Amino acid sequence: MAEATPDQIKVVDFAVREHRSLWGDAWRRLISNRTAQLGGVIVLFMVLSTVLAHFFWEYDPKSDLDYSLKLKAPTLVPNEDVPSVHIMGTDKLGRDIFRRVVHGGWNSIRVGFVAVSISLLIGGLLGLLAGFFESVPISSLERYLFKVLVGVVLGLIPAWIANQYSMVVLFAGVGLLSAYADLHWEEKSWRAWLIILLGTLSGGLPALITSPYTALFTAFLGFLIGIMLSRRLGGKLLSDATMRGMDIILAFPSYLLAIAIVAFLGPGLEKGMIAIGIVGIPVFARLVRSAVMSVIQKEYVLAANAVGEGHGRIMFRHILPNILSPIIVQSTMALAGAILSAAALGFLGLGAIPPEPEWGSMLGDSYRYLTSGAWWAVIFPGVAIMLIVLGFNLLGDGLRDALDPKLKI
Amino acid sequence: MTRYILGRLISVIPTLIGVTFVIFMFQRLIPGDPAVAMLGEHATQENVERIREQFGLNRPVFLDREALAQGDFKGFFDTQYLRYMGRLAVLDLGNSIHRRIPVAETLALRFPATVELAILAMLIATTIGVPVGIISAARRGSFIDGATMIGSLVGVSMPIFWLGLMLIMLFGVTLKWLPVGGRLSTGIEVTEITHLLLIDSLITGNMPAFKDAFQHIIMPAIALATIPMAIIARMTRSSMLDVLQEDYIRTAHAKGLSERIVLYRHALKNAFLPVITIIGLQLGALLAGAVLTETIFAWPGIGKWVYDAILGRDYPIVQGGTLIIALIFVFFSIIVDLSYALLDPRIHYE
Repeated sequence: MAEATPDQIKVVDFAVREHRSLWGDAWRRLISNRTAQLGGVIVLFMVLSTVLAHFFWEYDPKSDLDYSLKLKAPTLVPNEDVPSVHIMGTDKLGRDIFRRVVHGGWNSIRVGFVAVSISLLIGGLLGLLAGFFESVPISSLERYLFKVLVGVVLGLIPAWIANQYSMVVLFAGVGLLSAYADLHWEEKSWRAWLIILLGTLSGGLPALITSPYTALFTAFLGFLIGIMLSRRLGGKLLSDATMRGMDIILAFPSYLLAIAIVAFLGPGLEKGMIAIGIVGIPVFARLVRSAVMSVIQKEYVLAANAVGEGHGRIMFRHILPNILSPIIVQSTMALAGAILSAAALGFLGLGAIPPEPEWGSMLGDSYRYLTSGAWWAVIFPGVAIMLIVLGFNLLGDGLRDALDPKLKI
Repeated sequence: MTRYILGRLISVIPTLIGVTFVIFMFQRLIPGDPAVAMLGEHATQENVERIREQFGLNRPVFLDREALAQGDFKGFFDTQYLRYMGRLAVLDLGNSIHRRIPVAETLALRFPATVELAILAMLIATTIGVPVGIISAARRGSFIDGATMIGSLVGVSMPIFWLGLMLIMLFGVTLKWLPVGGRLSTGIEVTEITHLLLIDSLITGNMPAFKDAFQHIIMPAIALATIPMAIIARMTRSSMLDVLQEDYIRTAHAKGLSERIVLYRHALKNAFLPVITIIGLQLGALLAGAVLTETIFAWPGIGKWVYDAILGRDYPIVQGGTLIIALIFVFFSIIVDLSYALLDPRIHYE
């Protein structure tokens, strides 16, 4: 009886199936999900039509004006009153609403994307850092960075009061030294006193140029900063400070905050993007922080830490990919929210500068004519907003089902 | 428990101080002089100076560096922000720059309008949202369930200012059933006790006024209720679905209890915690004022008031209004946390 050579052995594939990655699985679930299909189709249709219109259908809002066609009801065939076809009617300046709705999408959707990118990048990064350093002790390099940062931020206060910005450099130095002291002079009892003394001097000496009274006050501030820096500040402080800041933003009513930011930056589409983006930061920061904290005690993070991988690598290679699902779902939902907020700002006259088409400002322009019966000028931009927002919400729902099969919402 | 409540209440203070700080930072950054905004472009220099002097706008915003350099420690701290905080400590919100009347006085008139609208909207949202959520969870996969899910998604996707406009067009303009804005028709008077017109007119037995106030409030309330309603329905449904998979539900069914008792006594009680959270947070958000709804329905609430003040650079109103709104919002999130302990005996706060 001859021995079987390896290539004669056939593996019976009762337990082996074609390799499928996690994301491949999620994708398969996504495209077989009814909700996601519907949402995807709506989003694709809306985004594609506005993008195509933006690049291939010329439109100059500045010259688009025809008073003879003011507020005409939708027509499907030309007649003697309205010689051209306007399937969605015309607005108060005789502009074709269909054309402006299609072109307005470019602005409205763009605001959504940029705003969510801002909140995602800033909020996500803050949440990642806060969640990570909440439970992982900071390394020595990070201790230097962190203490210098604390020194600079706190040092700005006396520096501003004395109008001597060189002071910031001194406080950065004190921060650096205090980090060194934390690491190398641990047993020495005088290290705290040294830092406090240096802090007082950094606060007091440069301010003498301004006035002795100022120096007195800033030396006191320097003393306080010295006390702060002489302690072993850790990641807990970073996390707490970040989350406190987020609480403050969250305590503001979101629309009013966005309006205040736009009032500060001036009206315009770009300013609206920034305002909506800032308002969305705390949501992402909180979400990402809690997601990080839910995986930080997992074996793969502990293992990566144990073999001495850098913190940045652990955060971005091990943690981030594992918390992507909630971030993706939240981003999709946030897109819907951002487009709604952009429309609201536009409606209040704080969005796109006229005559630039934008769905919210189209509504804001036309709603006064509702009482005279011009329903078409209000219905169509509103339907456009609702459709795209609905599309993103459906997609978000489908994504949640696909990415997290355990969740059934 | 008492210690926990106290701790939470104290933790509100730094947040609110942060809020006031941010407001003043904006005030410094936002271009435009409130004195000029009030007097107009052509005001004389003296008049502008007089107004600035009167409202302390000529002082530095945070700290007076020059005063310190001259050894004037009192002047150093005598700034817009610290003056404001000092007044705030004795609960004085200052005067409106434009109208010269105390902010607190206008707030006392405006806030009840917002409260009335928010509470009615929340009542509508809850009385419809919760049962709909329960039914669609109980009949999972049915037509009702599908309709609820789609309806609720459409609800959260609706720009409420647009919905408000549609309601006005249908009921106000076309059918002429309801008034298109305001709280009361002219000529109708209500003896104000609580400043909540619906309640005041009921207490005084003024039925025509009640009917009129109700006709005014119903459209904005429905518009405002749409999004919370959709969110509550979704939350109730998903929370119920989670609970309905539990063993004790199967046990209850096995004991032969009726569907109704299982649903309401066993499932709903346990599913209600996340729903309470959502209701509380949404109510907090609604009480913060709804700029858009208030604008469309000319509703004299605080959202529109603060919005107008931002645009008109009437800083005392912006400061006072935003602070109150933030306070309400934070307060409601604490109440929501506390309600957990009341509803769920397993939760204890140390």
